[in-house]
Amino acid sequence: MVISKKVFLLFLIAFLTLSGCAGFKTSNSKEAETNGEGKVVVNFWSFWGSEIRRPVIEKIVEDFNKSQDKIEVKHTFVPWGDIWTKELAAIAAGNPPDVVINDINGTALRGMKNQAMNLSGFLDKDDISERFYPELWKATLYEDESYGIPFNTDTRVLFYNKDAFKEAGLDPEKPPTTWAELEEYAAKLDKKNGDTYETMGFYPLFGVESDVWMLNANGKNFFDVDGNPNIHNKENVETLNWINSWKDKYGDNTINAFKSQIDSQQGNPFFNGKLGMFVNTPTFYTQIRDYAPDLNFGVAKLPERTEGSGNTSWGGGFVAEIPEGSKNSDEAWEFIKYLTDVEAQEYWAVKNFDNVANIEASEKAAQNKDMSEKDQLVYQMAVDNMEHTLLTPVPTYAPDFMGLIKPEIDSILLGKKSAEQGLKDGQSAVERLIEKNKK
Amino acid sequence: MSKKLFTNKQKEGLQGYIFILPWLVGFVVFTAGPLLFSFGASFSDYNVTSQMDFVGLDNYKTLLTDDQLFWTSLYNTFYFVLFSVPLTTLGAILLSALLNQDVPGMRFFRTIYYLPAILSGVGVYLLWMQLLEPGTGMVNTVLSWVGISGPNWLYDPNWTKPSLILMKLWSVGGSMLLYLASMQGVSKSLYEAAEMDGASRWKQFIHITIPMITPVIFFDIVTSLIGGFQIFQEAYVMSGNGDGGPVNSMLFYNLYMWKKAFETFDMGYAMAMSWILFIIVFIITIFNLKMAPRWVHYEGEEK
Repeated sequence: MVISKKVFLLFLIAFLTLSGCAGFKTSNSKEAETNGEGKVVVNFWSFWGSEIRRPVIEKIVEDFNKSQDKIEVKHTFVPWGDIWTKELAAIAAGNPPDVVINDINGTALRGMKNQAMNLSGFLDKDDISERFYPELWKATLYEDESYGIPFNTDTRVLFYNKDAFKEAGLDPEKPPTTWAELEEYAAKLDKKNGDTYETMGFYPLFGVESDVWMLNANGKNFFDVDGNPNIHNKENVETLNWINSWKDKYGDNTINAFKSQIDSQQGNPFFNGKLGMFVNTPTFYTQIRDYAPDLNFGVAKLPERTEGSGNTSWGGGFVAEIPEGSKNSDEAWEFIKYLTDVEAQEYWAVKNFDNVANIEASEKAAQNKDMSEKDQLVYQMAVDNMEHTLLTPVPTYAPDFMGLIKPEIDSILLGKKSAEQGLKDGQSAVERLIEKNKK
Repeated sequence: MSKKLFTNKQKEGLQGYIFILPWLVGFVVFTAGPLLFSFGASFSDYNVTSQMDFVGLDNYKTLLTDDQLFWTSLYNTFYFVLFSVPLTTLGAILLSALLNQDVPGMRFFRTIYYLPAILSGVGVYLLWMQLLEPGTGMVNTVLSWVGISGPNWLYDPNWTKPSLILMKLWSVGGSMLLYLASMQGVSKSLYEAAEMDGASRWKQFIHITIPMITPVIFFDIVTSLIGGFQIFQEAYVMSGNGDGGPVNSMLFYNLYMWKKAFETFDMGYAMAMSWILFIIVFIITIFNLKMAPRWVHYEGEEK
C-alpha cells in the first residue's frame, strides 16, 4: 500500500505538470478584454523604459485614461532588444497586444506581411493623415494604404562652435552652406601641433554614416520612385571620394582618438572646443545642456554638395501600429488618435526634446513656455529642418538590401576598393536580389 | 490485494518513466514539436503571419547556389571555430597545468583566472569593446609600451574575428576548472613511478597527464565545437548596429539566420539555414565520436 500511495503521488505530479503545459494554449475568443469596471483594456507596448522617457509616456497614458470612461490603456515596457520579436511571436500565437510602437522604416513591410493591421478602415471614417509631415506619412503606406500612425521622428543638423569660429576669423552667424565651405572652414578651425591634430575642424563620419551624405549629395534615396536601385551614380561616387579625402587629411590615428571620445559621451570633443563642427540629431542638444552648459554654439541645416543641390537631411522615427489579430482594434485606434494628437505630442516633444510627427504640435513645442530661449531656438531649427528631411523606408521587395551595400561601402572607406567599383558591385548585387525576390 | 497490478520490475520501470516524465513532456512539446515544424516549414515560404506555401527545395537551392552572404557567413563561422576551439582548448589545458602546481598563493591565482568565467553576456562584450578601442583602449595602450602599434581590432575586417578569439581566450576559466579537477584526480603513484624512471616534468605531462585527462578534452572539444558554430551574441553586440561588422567580417551563420528570420521575415529560408547548420554540426560530431576511441583513454576500460 505504501508503494501505491507513492505511485499515486507521482501520477498527481505528472498530471499537474501536464495541465501546466495546457496553460500555454492561447484562447482564441474574439471577445474584448474588460477590466473590473467594465472598461475595455487596451494593451500598449513600448520600449520607452528610460528614466526620462518612461514617466512621459506613462503620463500620456494616464491622461488618456482620465479623458474618457470606456477604455483603459495598460502600458507595458518591453526592452528594445525584445519588443519586436516578442510582438511577432504574440501575433503568431493569436494573442497580440493592441498597440505597439515600431520602427517607421519597416511599417510597409509589416503591412505586406499581415503583421500590422490595415488602418484604412479607420482612416476612411476620420482621416488624420493631414496631421503629419508628408514624408513620414508616405513611409507608413503599402500600396497606398496606411499600416501605422507616425509618432516621433528625427533629423540631422550641423552643430558648430561659435567661439571657435570667432577665434578662427570666421563669422559666427554664417555657418557653412556648401561642402566647399565646410572644407574651407574646417581647415581654418584645425589646430596642429607638429604632426598631430589637437583640434579638428570637422569630420563627416562623426555622428552620422556615409549614407546620410550620399542622400545629401543628390536628395535621392537608394531607390527611385519606380523601385529601381540607384546606388551607383555620379554623386554617390563623388561623395565617397569626398569622405575618403577627409580620412586622408586627418589620418586614422586622429580619427580613432576623437571617435572614442565621442563615444564616451561626456568627453565629446565638441563640448570642449576640440571639434569645431559636428553633425547629429537635434536631441544631441540635451547632452550639450547637461555636460557643457556654457558652450556657445549654433545650429544649421546640413550644407549642400554644390549650390542648389539641396540641404537634404536624413531622418527616421517610430509609429504606433495595431498588430494583426488585436481584439480591441476600435479602442486601440481611439488611443492612437490621442497619442498622435497635438496635446500628447507637444507634451512628448517638450519633455523629451524630441522631434514629433504632428506638425502643429511641433510648431507649438518650439514656442512652449517650458523651454528656455536656447531650447526654443534649437527646437525651431529641428522643426524647420523637417522640410529637408528624407526617410529611407526599406523597400518591401528587397528589405535586406543594406546587407549587400554596407560591405561595399566599408571596403571603399577602408581603401580596399575604388568608389566606382564598389558602388557598381553593390548596384548589381541589389539588382540580383530584387530579381530573385520578384521570382 | 492478492493479485498485483504490476510486477515489481514493471513497477520500477514505470516509476522511472514517471520520474523523467516532465523532461519527456518538455522535450516533445518544446523541442521535438518545433523541430519537426521547422523541418516542414523549411520547404515553404513561411513568414509567420501571412503565408506558408510549399516551395519544395527552393530555399535550399537558393542558399547553396544564389546567396553570397550565406557563404560569407559560413566562411566566417568556420574561421572562428577552426581557430577558437583549438586555441581555447590548448589555453585551458596549459592554464590548468600551471594552476595545478604547488606554490603558495595558488588559491588566489585560481580565483583570478576563473573570475572571467563567471562574468558573462553583454557586459563582457561592452568591456572588450572598450579594451579593444584602437585609440585609447587598454590593449593598444599596453602594446604601445613595448613599441607595437596595435591594429584597429573591431574596425579592421582582418582583425575582427581574431578580436573575438582573443576575447574567448580570456574566458577559458570555465573549461580550465574541468581540466584542473580531472588533473587532480590523476593518481600520484603514476608520477612517482615515472620520476623514479627518470622522466622529466615535461615527459610526465605529455605521457601521464594528457592521456589521463583525454575524456575531459574530448568533452570540451565536442561542446565547444557545437558552441562555436552557434556564435551569435558576440557579433550582434560588438558589430556596432548588429549588422555584421566591417565588410561583413562578423556576419556569422546564426547572425545572418537571425536577420533573415526577424528583419526580413523570411522564416522558411531561415529554417532551411538552421537545418543546414544542423547537418554540418551533426556530421562533425559523428566524426568526433568515431575518432574518439583512437585517442581518448578511459581508466578501467576493457580492451
